[in-house]
Amino acid sequence: MEIVNKPQKRRPRIFSAEARVAYICLIPAFLGLIFLTYLPLLGVLGISLTNWTGLKSPEFIGFDNYVKIFTTDPYIKDSIIATIYFAILSVIGSMIYSLFIALLLNRKIPARGFFRAVFYVPYVLPAAAIYVGWSWLYEGNFGFFNYLLSELGLNKILFIADSSYVVPSLSLISVWLAGNLIVIFLAGLQNVPVVYHEAAEMDGANGWQRFCHITLPCMTPIIFYNLLMSLIANLQVVTPALALTNGGPGNSSRFMTYLMYDQAFVNYKLGYACATTFIIFAILAGFTAILFKTSNKWIYNEGGDDK
Amino acid sequence: MKTGRKLGVGLVSAALVMSVVGCGNNGNNETSNTNTASPGTDATEAPATSSSKTEKVKIIYSMWGSAEEGSTTQAVADKFNASQDRIEVEVQAIPWESYMTKLNTLATADQLPDTGMLKEDGVIQWSSQGMLNDVSSMYEGSDSQPLESLAYKYQGKTVAYAAANEILLLYYNKDMFDKANVPYPPSVLDQAWTWDEFVETAKKLTIDKKGKHPGEDGFNSQSIVQYGASVENLPWQLETWTLSNGGGFYSNDGVEVRVGEDASIDAIQKVADLYLKDHVAPLSVGQTDDGIQRTIIAGTVAMATNGAWNVGTSLNTAKEAGLNYGVAVLPYMKDKVTLNTSGANVVFSQTKHPEEAMEWLKWYNSEENNWALISSGIWMPTLEKWYTDETLTHKWVDNPNFPSYDEYKSAVVDYAQSSAARPASWFFTNNTTEFNTLLGSVLGDVWTGKTTAKDAISKNLDALKAAHTGNQ
Repeated sequence: MEIVNKPQKRRPRIFSAEARVAYICLIPAFLGLIFLTYLPLLGVLGISLTNWTGLKSPEFIGFDNYVKIFTTDPYIKDSIIATIYFAILSVIGSMIYSLFIALLLNRKIPARGFFRAVFYVPYVLPAAAIYVGWSWLYEGNFGFFNYLLSELGLNKILFIADSSYVVPSLSLISVWLAGNLIVIFLAGLQNVPVVYHEAAEMDGANGWQRFCHITLPCMTPIIFYNLLMSLIANLQVVTPALALTNGGPGNSSRFMTYLMYDQAFVNYKLGYACATTFIIFAILAGFTAILFKTSNKWIYNEGGDDK
Repeated sequence: MKTGRKLGVGLVSAALVMSVVGCGNNGNNETSNTNTASPGTDATEAPATSSSKTEKVKIIYSMWGSAEEGSTTQAVADKFNASQDRIEVEVQAIPWESYMTKLNTLATADQLPDTGMLKEDGVIQWSSQGMLNDVSSMYEGSDSQPLESLAYKYQGKTVAYAAANEILLLYYNKDMFDKANVPYPPSVLDQAWTWDEFVETAKKLTIDKKGKHPGEDGFNSQSIVQYGASVENLPWQLETWTLSNGGGFYSNDGVEVRVGEDASIDAIQKVADLYLKDHVAPLSVGQTDDGIQRTIIAGTVAMATNGAWNVGTSLNTAKEAGLNYGVAVLPYMKDKVTLNTSGANVVFSQTKHPEEAMEWLKWYNSEENNWALISSGIWMPTLEKWYTDETLTHKWVDNPNFPSYDEYKSAVVDYAQSSAARPASWFFTNNTTEFNTLLGSVLGDVWTGKTTAKDAISKNLDALKAAHTGNQ
């Protein structure tokens, strides 16, 4: 104990052998980050200030692309709304769903391993196959869900063909796909100290009280991690638009990443697409910042605040 | 402090990027100089061809397709290479999904092939940026020309010929017609159905669970088990109906936007009403390009409109599996119209050997060299003689991949060279991709009846016009 508490002489850490090794080991990662992330990002910013189409040489046009995006672009507003709507539905849906499933799978139920696999499987299936499968379920005329509805004597629902249903329908798929969140929640649940539960039980707390006052607070760091990952992934959504809806009907599923893809690789307006990319980047950064800002208000750190 | 450092780093790197972009500019300026020089290279061309007497001129031809398809085409090119001693053609196959992206990259790097295929909606755009050569002289003095409707024109000049021909047709399920005891749709243009006749027939073929038809007492549109008709509503195919109703997407020269005219709007509304009011069509929101699979092949719809390529891409296998289908001409509103279309074969302006490139294209485009695609029913020939000379038509159509000869001859071969066949607008109009994407998005809520074609198009007419000028 004494040794640990002794104030040590501080040498500038950069000169210590240990630090040097650490920096050397970090170089490849840094190089990767710089050349594969930061420089391309700056490149995107540079190209976004040009009218590059890939054919003619680019001309510098200042902020024209950004002005166009915010004034005359017929898609961007719908696109941002659709993306945020989708992300909120999917994040909330998949968080609740996966926490609920994780709680169930954390109990001592028969064939637990089997059920854990069952809920994880959607996550590892190939995306294209998943969406084709769901498109058969959702199809507006003869799809399986509509077959069930008409057998029940109900009116058909145009799941992905109706602009008001398409985002909730696609979010449902994304919730169903949240197997990775379940796995992480499960790992978190297994780390909730049993002693707390035992103590609370002795004090007469019921299951719900124990969940609210023990499980949830202990899980907040995991919830934060899952929330962040899920939010970023869902704001970058593009596969359902590419595989199922082509952004439609109307602009109702023209998610931002799809819009960017369309501008860059269908219309070949690369400068314009880069400007859109930067706006997506800003929105993502904004949401992430909000999440981080609010995080210390609700995250419970067992070891105290050690930032 | 932290932000200050970040800002500094940012500025330095931004400067770096700008200088890189700057270099790119210079590089490209040089290439564009050579580009502008190339149309007038006739003088430099002469020595090149004369020296090629001893050494063959090498031409690279790019196509979309798998490596396997590439080697099939290379085998055809090898025949050409062996047939003369001046030109050596090398085929470059690029997968369809990345084809245009790859070509864009090659164009930027000034490394385009000499000649190649180009997607239909890219031809005029590439041409407007000076990337394509004038090919009007390609068929000078030839005994058979491509059909007039298959030439891509930019500012009056022919900048490409279609690699194949395709037209839009009406496919129908004969068994469904026989069962309902309804006469087949006409395969002869003179007897083409009016839109109302088409809708009336479709009603007879639409059946709900209790066997009732639309318009009858007790008919329930929520429990339809078989639909009468489906009109493909992908934006580019909708142009057919606007033209047929006396409107159009654009004026004949491709300059003005006409989709806002009443005739055009009414035509689009009529297509939407097949589902909304007439209850004869399944809902389709123009999202995916698999109309025939969803309708005729799925066995849920009696009649469906779509392109001639379906004969070879999907209907031939369905026919083997027992589908009894026929082909007919499209119904019409005021004028009889079908659209011609096909991807193009172009000569890139970066080439140093435009003459040789054209010679190869002319040879390659002759039907014998694309026989696999033509005899399977995917492509239709481009040269007029296949349509006018019946021995050639027999050679083309008389095989098990096709519906019966008489039907196909009249509903496809004769139809394609009739006055009803008009080139799709991308043969002469720029920015059709952007226009069609926007139109598709504008019409999204029209198909489900949440809004009308009138409201949707009027509200977005300015944006559509801007998209047409490439300026949205």
